[in-house]
Amino acid sequence: MTIVPTKEAEAAEAVRAAQSSRRTLSIEGGGTRLAFGRPIQTDDTLSSKGLSGITRYEPAELVFSAWAGTPVAEIEAALDEKGQMLPFEPMDHRTIYGGSGAPTIGGIAATGASGPRRIQAGAARDLLLGVRFVNGRGEIVKSGGRVMKNVTGLDLVKVNCGAHGTLGFMTEVTFKVLPKPERTLTLILEDLDDERAVQAMSAALGSPFSVSAAAHLPADVGGARARTALRLEHFAESITYRARELAKVLSAFGRAREIEDDESRALWRAIRDVDALAQPKDDMLWRVSVPPTQAPALLARLRQAGLSFRALLDWGGGLIWIACTENAAASTVVREALGGDGHATLMRASDALRASLDVFQPQDAALMKLTAGIKASFDPDGILNPGRMYAGL
Amino acid sequence: MSSIAFPTPDPAILARRDDIIAGLAALLPPECLVTSEDERRAFETDALTAYRRLPLAVALPRNTAEVAAVMAFCHREGVKIVPRGAGTSLAGGAIPQEDAVVIGVSKLNRILSVDYANRTARVEAGVTNLSISDAVMPDGFFYAPDPSSQLACTIAGNIGMNSGGAHCLKYGVTINNILGVKMVLIDGTVVDIGGQALDPAGLDLLGLIVGSEGQLGIVTEATVRLLRLAEGARPVLFGFDSSEAAGECVAAIIGAGIVPVAMEFMDKPAIEICEAFAKAGYPLDVEAMLIVEVEGSEEEMEAQLARICEIARRYGVKVVKESRSATETALIWKGRKSAFGATGRVADYICMDGTVPTSQLPYVLKRTGEIVASYGLRVANVFHAGDGNMHPLILYNVNDPAEQAKAEAAGNDILRLCVDAGGCLTGEHGVGIEKRDLMRHQFSEVDLTQQMRVRAVFDGRWLLNPAKVFPLDGRIAA
Amino acid sequence: MQTNFTSAQLADPHMAASEKILRSCVHCGFCTATCPTYLLLGDELDSPRGRIYLIKDMLEGGKPATAEVVKHIDRCLSCLSCMTTCPSGVHYMHLVDHARAHIEQTYKRDATDRLLRALLAHILPYRNRFRLALGAALFAKPFRPLLAHLPRVGKRLAAMVALAPPRSPAVTAEPAPLTRADRRRVAILEGCAQPVLQPAINAAARRLLARADIEVVRVAEEGCCGALVHHMGREAQALEFARRNIDAWITAIDQQGIEAIIITASGCGTTVKDYGFMLRDDPLYAEKARRVSALTCDITEFLDRLDLPAVSTAPKRAVAYHSACSMQHGQQIRDEPKRLLRNAGFTVRDVPEGHICCGSAGVYNILQPEIAGRLRDRKVGNIERLRPDIIATGNIGCITQIGGGTAIPVVHTVELLDWAHGGPMPPALERAPGLNSRVVQFPLA
Repeated sequence: MTIVPTKEAEAAEAVRAAQSSRRTLSIEGGGTRLAFGRPIQTDDTLSSKGLSGITRYEPAELVFSAWAGTPVAEIEAALDEKGQMLPFEPMDHRTIYGGSGAPTIGGIAATGASGPRRIQAGAARDLLLGVRFVNGRGEIVKSGGRVMKNVTGLDLVKVNCGAHGTLGFMTEVTFKVLPKPERTLTLILEDLDDERAVQAMSAALGSPFSVSAAAHLPADVGGARARTALRLEHFAESITYRARELAKVLSAFGRAREIEDDESRALWRAIRDVDALAQPKDDMLWRVSVPPTQAPALLARLRQAGLSFRALLDWGGGLIWIACTENAAASTVVREALGGDGHATLMRASDALRASLDVFQPQDAALMKLTAGIKASFDPDGILNPGRMYAGL
Repeated sequence: MSSIAFPTPDPAILARRDDIIAGLAALLPPECLVTSEDERRAFETDALTAYRRLPLAVALPRNTAEVAAVMAFCHREGVKIVPRGAGTSLAGGAIPQEDAVVIGVSKLNRILSVDYANRTARVEAGVTNLSISDAVMPDGFFYAPDPSSQLACTIAGNIGMNSGGAHCLKYGVTINNILGVKMVLIDGTVVDIGGQALDPAGLDLLGLIVGSEGQLGIVTEATVRLLRLAEGARPVLFGFDSSEAAGECVAAIIGAGIVPVAMEFMDKPAIEICEAFAKAGYPLDVEAMLIVEVEGSEEEMEAQLARICEIARRYGVKVVKESRSATETALIWKGRKSAFGATGRVADYICMDGTVPTSQLPYVLKRTGEIVASYGLRVANVFHAGDGNMHPLILYNVNDPAEQAKAEAAGNDILRLCVDAGGCLTGEHGVGIEKRDLMRHQFSEVDLTQQMRVRAVFDGRWLLNPAKVFPLDGRIAA
Repeated sequence: MQTNFTSAQLADPHMAASEKILRSCVHCGFCTATCPTYLLLGDELDSPRGRIYLIKDMLEGGKPATAEVVKHIDRCLSCLSCMTTCPSGVHYMHLVDHARAHIEQTYKRDATDRLLRALLAHILPYRNRFRLALGAALFAKPFRPLLAHLPRVGKRLAAMVALAPPRSPAVTAEPAPLTRADRRRVAILEGCAQPVLQPAINAAARRLLARADIEVVRVAEEGCCGALVHHMGREAQALEFARRNIDAWITAIDQQGIEAIIITASGCGTTVKDYGFMLRDDPLYAEKARRVSALTCDITEFLDRLDLPAVSTAPKRAVAYHSACSMQHGQQIRDEPKRLLRNAGFTVRDVPEGHICCGSAGVYNILQPEIAGRLRDRKVGNIERLRPDIIATGNIGCITQIGGGTAIPVVHTVELLDWAHGGPMPPALERAPGLNSRVVQFPLA
């Protein structure tokens, strides 16, 4: 059964009912990210679709609040009208998962979806100022608020962001927004290999010119030639200057080509949504986080291990998307190639494989104990998205 | 004197003091253990000196293993622990208890490694905030969060309180600039959370730990983000005839889509106090002043300033004064960052830390003045205007118990005002003991209970910094 | 911060002054960050804030000093870096001086400590005794490793002997200057240890002043400024020295019209400038002391006010300028010495972590050799990173301390200035291998 509360209190009532009858609940928004995480079977579905609408938008304070089920498109339109934006450039997962639903702002918070601008403006969790949610006891809890600086009490906002609905059913979220940049320009270097590309991105990100995104599309990924893209966003008068200066910083890596406006926006949207690796649909897709300079070595290790794959690097090399033909052994190969300081999430694979493999990076016993404890502290009976992140949790 | 209660010390622990100290002495060399009463006295408070409690003992371990050994011992013996960084908390976050062992991280003060290509540094938790920037500044990098106490405060303390600072308007607070920690849990288990990667592997435990006020564990190492310095930075002073005009100007600048690096507010009393100390050239003939900092190349700063000046003129700005040299810039910030300390030359003070939506600034400023005046006291306002984080300094005489009671009552009124205006009790200093008993004004019982349930996952017996954050009644355990 | 003194306690003017200092402290902790001993030891008890708290507790309780309190106060270098840092204007110097006097009155040190301190107090402030002792120390130098093994006091004796210069400097007789009625006149503090260890410093100062047509009046009765014993808590002895010097200088002021009392050792300068405070409650001396303090200045402060001719033939020597704590913190003199050196043609480099003490601190390097040694090594490391040809500083203690840890010659600022303006090459440079041979055409002035 799908429960679609239209008021926060109804959602709380639904969870209380579920708890008392020990019925498990799938948490759902627009349904565009259901393939993210381990596949789960539950007794019922609790949808946020009925909780929709912007509840408060204060452009002068750079803050808005909205019910969790509000479509992202509606929010972006409202922000756009005031020349503002979601700074963390949330990914639209429909490209990789397919599906025709409308992504919701709650889904963004629940998955912690952050795009290319994460390196400069922060991740979803950095911009999420406040949440209201229903915990597994059916209690309505609030944490955070609508001001940018707030350290009052234990912060439950960030731990809920990216918890995939396992800790609570989010009802309302408050995000910080930023003015849209007056002008955007992207410098593109061509034909760099992984190693040189990461060096170029490190040089750019270590320059004083506020590079807001740095990604690398190797040869045959979204185009024949390898492209390393570096984005500048600022006041109109700054961009010309910064582009010139940044090109100087990058001169050792070749002559940078400039793209602007629609062309630039389209490129970053494609990178954000991993367009280049979306097809074929049955390829398995990994999302790997590492210290940027370790990315080339990691990819080299994968090749050495005989894995046939295509990759895309974002966040200056700190985020690697890897697509390969679906096979269980790849999990071992990818995670063994990580080295000490990284983690891998299996973003796309068949239900069978996601049920049998660790979708999220396995953690050591002490951290898993904390994770289990935290889950139980929000949801003692394990009724909210049980098993979505870890089997048995 | 004190209106904030401390829990009654556990007589069983006090009776076992000698055994506990003997146990600690087996784990630490003598120079790392403070036991005599004279010496313990120096640790009885932090920067909220109106409250003091003599600790059972003070442990100053030199490495993670020693921290773990002491914590495991205390856990086994059921002894409470109060973590301490540099003891600069304005909220009483490091104030001990008679039946607690203070664990200070001040000996863990090395920068372990710097990685410019990945723009991170690995540091021991007892390093001071500023020493990180000092170490990487010659290479053009810095660590962004800059609390006013950055000269002295430790990264451990910054993590505990999720500290902010003037430049957080653009660069974010501690949580936005920390990627990983090594933390000792209450039972002595050492965990590594996060690392150099930009997102968490599972649940965002780091988001829980940063700002947890030393109640979840003791952080001994941290991986921090380093940012590249802008080509140039220039603070500009804007003087106004009224605090309200300055407050409205702040809202208008943000509303116009301009987010400067920093936007600081001072009222007349604060200007006078800071100018007397720093001789920074603050205008003395205005009622309120904004320090607005812009960054970039010379031309970029000019362009941004032109836009900001244009807005400021609409709000009747009286004085506009740009910094003309690195020395002037340093003095302007020295004056601002020494504001609290310099106030000490004039009177004792308590410093509030509520945040309000920026649109509410003019109203809250006006009400703050009225509240403090109604208690017959004076106030100096100096704060981070860009993000609405207010710091009214209520001036009083700490040696006069009646005045102290009034000052605290006025402070509580102001904090309630901040919450009622859509803000919160504390923007960057933390709850500590100072705002503990006001928590129910901002949170419902359900909210607090959920926080305490999470807390109990880490410390079910309330051994870690137990007198802080949560009201003493209605606490729940594991 | 809150204090808890009885009105009876506050009737004591010393106590009242300390109470006022304590009241101005807001316990913010900024001072900990720039305290050399806190930097090394990481223990708040070895920081200004910790010490202030120990002192507060001791004074409020009217308690005799305990061994623990004494340990931490003794570790204080009195570098006064904390006073530069303090936004609240806490006068730590006066507070710690009060505490030291209180310790001296109420605490019985062990026999060896007492002996060592008495030895220092009875030798160092007296030029002739010190000269004799220096001879003995030179004799003892080869036995330093043996000395270090003596129980309790060995390390400190060895440290003391190690500080003796490699040879006893010759005492150079100088012609008495001619007196002319219309000339500007000043006095230069001769003091105690400096003329014995490095007579070249004041000689250089006199030549510089003579070139500016300023007469240096010899004040026969003056001697040690009292700083050394003052820092050991021997207040009465310190005040005796102060009164003797004040008498001598007041006579010189009134009868010979000296316009300034010039100090070439910044450690002494800090104390002489504080005579006015030290004797504020002495009805016979308060006013005179104030007058003396008001006329006192460091040699670089005085030279900076003169119109010294610029030196065009730049020597291209890289000078690391080490600002003595008593200079930068005690007297807040920062730019003058560097400006003078630059105008004299030197390339001046700032030492990283320049606000941290070198460990000399009066007799600190003798009483606390271990901490002093670590601070010296840290300082030398920071200086050597600059690869300077010469190290310049304005305090004899630093010259001795830093000189003991590096092969780079350490000289007084005025020696370099005098050399640039036509005086002889500083003795330390003459002795320095390599540097000497490269000094060809300089000075040309």
